[in-house]
Amino acid sequence: MNNGLLHLGSSTLASSDFLILAGLLFLLGAVGVLVRRNPIVILVCIELMLNAANLTLITFARQQGNLDGQIFALLTMVVAAAEAVIGLAVLVDIFGARELDDIDDLSELNG
Amino acid sequence: MTLQSVALTLLLLPAAGAIVLALGALRLPRTAVKWIGPGTVWLSFVCGLILFADQLSHNQAHDFTYWTWIQLGSFNVPVDLLIDRLSVFMILVVSGVGALITTYSVGYMAHEDDPSYARFFVYMNVFIFSMLLLVSAGNFIFLIMGWALVGLSSYLLIGFYYQREAAVLAARKAFVMNVIGDIGLFLGVFLIFTTYHQVRFTAVFGQVPKQDSVTLEVIALLLLVGAIAKSAQLPLHTWLPDAMEGPTPVSALIHAATMVTAGVYLVGRMHPIFDVAQYAHDGVAAIGALSAIFAATVALVQTDIKRVLAYSTMSQIGYMFLGVGVGAYGAAFFHLLAHAFFKALLFMSAGNVIHAMGDEQDMRRYGGLRRQMRLTSAAFLVGSLALVGIFPFVGFFSKDLVLGLAFSKPSLHDFPQIMWVVGTITALLTGFYTGRMWWIAFGGRPSPDRPVQHPHEAPPIMLYPVLALALLTLLGGLLQVEVAWHGGWKLVSDFLAPVVGVTGWSEGSIGYVIAALTVVLSAAVFMSAYNLYVRRVWPTWSLALPWAQRVLEHKYYFDELYSSLVAALDGLSQLVFRRVDQPLLDGTVRTLGEATKASAGALSEVETGYLRNYLLFFSAGAVVILLVVVVRLFG
Repeated sequence: MNNGLLHLGSSTLASSDFLILAGLLFLLGAVGVLVRRNPIVILVCIELMLNAANLTLITFARQQGNLDGQIFALLTMVVAAAEAVIGLAVLVDIFGARELDDIDDLSELNG
Repeated sequence: MTLQSVALTLLLLPAAGAIVLALGALRLPRTAVKWIGPGTVWLSFVCGLILFADQLSHNQAHDFTYWTWIQLGSFNVPVDLLIDRLSVFMILVVSGVGALITTYSVGYMAHEDDPSYARFFVYMNVFIFSMLLLVSAGNFIFLIMGWALVGLSSYLLIGFYYQREAAVLAARKAFVMNVIGDIGLFLGVFLIFTTYHQVRFTAVFGQVPKQDSVTLEVIALLLLVGAIAKSAQLPLHTWLPDAMEGPTPVSALIHAATMVTAGVYLVGRMHPIFDVAQYAHDGVAAIGALSAIFAATVALVQTDIKRVLAYSTMSQIGYMFLGVGVGAYGAAFFHLLAHAFFKALLFMSAGNVIHAMGDEQDMRRYGGLRRQMRLTSAAFLVGSLALVGIFPFVGFFSKDLVLGLAFSKPSLHDFPQIMWVVGTITALLTGFYTGRMWWIAFGGRPSPDRPVQHPHEAPPIMLYPVLALALLTLLGGLLQVEVAWHGGWKLVSDFLAPVVGVTGWSEGSIGYVIAALTVVLSAAVFMSAYNLYVRRVWPTWSLALPWAQRVLEHKYYFDELYSSLVAALDGLSQLVFRRVDQPLLDGTVRTLGEATKASAGALSEVETGYLRNYLLFFSAGAVVILLVVVVRLFG
């Protein structure tokens, strides 16, 4: 366990496998934020990116053999929860004022 | 009380009077104003007498230092008063004549409203304070302060009747002309400081070299510019005749007896500089002589009685400049004293007449006053004869002393003698214009269009100061009789000798012949005006010389010249404004502003308002930073 490898039955997963997965998740989330128009989906994509970061933290924690990364990941989850609450509250407020299904409609502050 | 505190009290009394009157102008009863205004000046005069007594008995110059005002490295300005014989002499003239004239003003200004009445005495006290500061200052900084403050009080008093446009314009003109002089004085003092690193008179005079140099000449010329403007000499004289818009006591005190002689005082005080700077010193004499004859000719055609007196003031100050310019300081200051007596007398008796005539100043509309206002007429005649220089009035002793010393001064180039010729011609012109003024205003029959047919003599408060000055004019010659009596006493010159030095030559016996001749000729000219203007048996000279009359009535076109000069400067500045200021300065600023606005418009296109655009920029930035970090770490 202390070499950063995870043994699942006969197969062994190395740290790089987790990091590649985290990178894919982050890319998925980032592209989703950039191209999707539904505000709810954008929030979900942000969660995806945060979780990719968490996965990275935990992977490195295993590799280093200490708990700092795991504690940091817990902290990130709290922040992510708070962020989701604020983000949803803002969206609910905007839904109260008007119909919104495309984030591009919120472009009054253009130059 | 020590002498040091007497000197300070002398200075602060009029200032305190001014402050009390200014704060209480709307509340104080008129009786209080009447007492505080002249009262503080009289008390100053008493302080002056105490200092005078000390000078007589001890003959020692005091440089009283009260405290240090400014201490900046080597630049050290003490608050100090230089009390020597010259400043005591000036203090007595200023406070003495000032006291008589402020007393006279109590009567003259009586028809003013209460606030204006108090305002007048506030200004007068400010003036007396400033003038005393000017003559008792012990360093150049306080000299400048006094110099500027007398200019300010002169401005305030000329514009006293601020409802009249002419008065306001005259005040402005006087102020501008005086500021030109102030700049000269300032530059001179700056140059003195950069050369000698001192501001105290005594310290600077101790360092003035005995050899003439360009620096010293420039210093002296700059000081002379200040003196010329303050004393209304050519070519900065045009403000003085216009200054007659002020109340007559002001004309008597400021524009005849005291302030306009500040230039003479300045040259006298700075005599260690002028004695060495030979060219500037000759310049003083030349300007004095030219101003004397210039003003005398213009006075020939004036019809306003106060303007005649104003031009004669300019002319007489020309004599004083002539005196200090040839180095006859004692004589010049004696003439300053004499002039303070007789010119204040003339202005105040003219004031009585103007008062009686319902503010009419055109003397052609007077006539025959001799029989109706006997005391005032007698006083005016005494003043006129002193102005002409008739024996035994004080003007005879002082003016002929100045002229005699100019004539007899040993010199290589006959320069003083040329000055004497000009001065003597001026003396004859003085006889004529004074005679003309006297005969037109007081002689003959009353003019048919006179505003008041049966004028009343002035009230006592206006009469007593006039009579006191008439007495001084009559007896003042006894102070210095050397013109009339070989080896006679010369109290004024002897009194001032410790400060300004002894005149190094004397008139010699030819002086008496010249003096006698001048007196006889001047008297003859004075009387000839009777035939011209009262009996009209002789045709007036102007019929023969109409062009001369025209030139003189335009005062040699000085005002026109200055107006066109200012107009030309105005045109030039407008041209510069249109060709340089607007395209270059305004253009630069405007172009910069427009460019900023345009670039801001272009850049604002980036701000689309779409969240995805912002996030794209954000992510792209993050990627770039990441790449940089990676390249740095592993590249």
